[in-house]
Amino acid sequence: MLSGLQNPRQAAAQLLNFALILSTAFMMWKGLSIVADSPSPIVVVLSGSMEPAFQRGDLLFLWNRNLLAETDVGEVVVYNVKGKDIPIVHRIVRKFGLGEHAKLLTKGDNNAADDTELYARGQDYLERKDIIGSVVGYIPFVGYVTIMLSEHPWLKTVMLGIMGLLVVLQRE
Amino acid sequence: MYNSLTRIQNVFGFFTTVAFVVSAIIAASDFTAPRTPSASIKPTNVQVVKGRPHYYSSKKEEYAIIKFSLDADMSSLFTWNTKQLFVYVTAEWPSTPSGDGTNQTNKAVIWDSIITSPSSDHLANLGPATLKKLRKSAAGKSIDPSRGKLSLKNQRPKYQITHPSGKVANTEDVTLHVHYNVQPWVGMLTWNQDVDFALWKRMARGISNAFALPTVSAKKK
Amino acid sequence: MASQERITVHNLAGKLPNLKHTSDDAIPNYLNSLKFTQDHSLIDTRLALGYGAFAIAAACFLWDYKLGFESTKWFTAAAVALYSLVNGALTLWIAYVEKGTVYQGKAADGTKLTLGPPPQISVSTSTKKNEPTYYVVVDVAPKGGPSTKLEFARSFTEWFDVQGHFVALPFQTMLATTVPLIAKADPKRAAAIPPPAAAAAAAAEFLNVDTHTLDALAAAETTGAESTAAGSVGKKSKRRKA
Repeated sequence: MLSGLQNPRQAAAQLLNFALILSTAFMMWKGLSIVADSPSPIVVVLSGSMEPAFQRGDLLFLWNRNLLAETDVGEVVVYNVKGKDIPIVHRIVRKFGLGEHAKLLTKGDNNAADDTELYARGQDYLERKDIIGSVVGYIPFVGYVTIMLSEHPWLKTVMLGIMGLLVVLQRE
Repeated sequence: MYNSLTRIQNVFGFFTTVAFVVSAIIAASDFTAPRTPSASIKPTNVQVVKGRPHYYSSKKEEYAIIKFSLDADMSSLFTWNTKQLFVYVTAEWPSTPSGDGTNQTNKAVIWDSIITSPSSDHLANLGPATLKKLRKSAAGKSIDPSRGKLSLKNQRPKYQITHPSGKVANTEDVTLHVHYNVQPWVGMLTWNQDVDFALWKRMARGISNAFALPTVSAKKK
Repeated sequence: MASQERITVHNLAGKLPNLKHTSDDAIPNYLNSLKFTQDHSLIDTRLALGYGAFAIAAACFLWDYKLGFESTKWFTAAAVALYSLVNGALTLWIAYVEKGTVYQGKAADGTKLTLGPPPQISVSTSTKKNEPTYYVVVDVAPKGGPSTKLEFARSFTEWFDVQGHFVALPFQTMLATTVPLIAKADPKRAAAIPPPAAAAAAAAEFLNVDTHTLDALAAAETTGAESTAAGSVGKKSKRRKA
């Protein structure tokens, strides 16, 4: 392995392998993003407001195209509220009108009240453009790792440490 | 090369592949279970009241309370991959003539229910007594299709209908629709279909006759 | 001890790529010292394609990060398509053009020399996994003439000693005595005793049984102590004989 470092081409080729793993993963994500027409085609559930359907850590696949029908009442959508950063996964319970500017109201299955309180000040309904996708597929648990990592930053350090230690110990 | 790190990676990689393939098979197995849901619904008592539909409503507006009777058989939707069935009733009506739109539609959920599979009872947001009863009802069963049989008489709606215009009285051509959403343990979420698809039949009936909302009644009783 | 012996059995499979890579790396060093001019166009093309693809992904990341998804999605779609094209080209290049070529160069008289693994044998082929043999195809193409192919297979034990160290002399002698073009460039090595004898001379304690040697080699690497390694060899051979 070290002999590779003496030869710049070998070193560049080894670095390339690593770089291509990263960039291929990123481009696959972007490709999925383009196909689903959503900035974030896979999301991790962060709250329990859709329980028991979705728990924290479940992985949702989103679809943001209206090929056959408009986004309708009963669909579970992920939306962003103006000025807030956290996307919310809730079900559409009311729809008034058709098209781009139809008024949509959402509610978590597990919540007693609808989402009017969650929307921006003065906003009573969502519009289609606030939605970044409808949930079409579901895989449980898989996303929990990301929640663990973001809620317990020390885990990242521990993981990096273990990985580093393994690399050092296993070096021949 | 063939050290413990590689082995851990290999084991983990193999585990991931197996888990993914098994999940895909389970998800695909949905298509092998026929779906033959049916439902009949009719409104039993309709009222329109002027007031605050919620405690947090800022203004007084007209809202409708639609009581209904529902008989539904969704038992075929419960398979080993069903986590929960979400059944909901919507009221749908075309836009009022005074409204701006042509061919506008209005839809609002008036009632919904989460029906868990016995395998997901522990996740339901229920009180301990109700949960115990629910568990007892399906003791020893991992799939309980009988939960898909609904029979509601003169059911009060969970949600009152409002409209952004604040007016719902005298609305014509209102229909009630029964919908469902199957939430799997893994795989695709599915809703009721408008057309048959392989073994999955569209819902038999499930739409009420059209009715009109009455004028505003004097006071909510 | 018992655990070490267990590791060594699996280690043969693990060490083989190392043996091959070390031998591969030695080829350019040797040939370039003989006034061969190495041709880097194969790896240069691979690097250009690979880093080109990476640059596309990096640019895509940047505009997505700065400008958001909605306003750049057509560029992103184009970038995704272009990335898959370039990456596909890279994969094809590695599989069908490079084919694991170890060395490509020109002798002083302009004869083109290419060394690489035979097409049917790659390092990962499972049938060859536990066999410590170095398979090489040599393609010699004189200027304007038809090319000739030469294929040889030699045991790694000829140029790795018991501790697993690479020994240059028997390796270079092996190449010089096998490939006439190299012999012409390096008459001194070509005139030396043929490789098997040379190997035996270079490493007197060398066992001629391949698997034993490699076990010992691996054991030596694990323990890092010669005496222990020797002990393990003795023990092992006794057990094997019993």
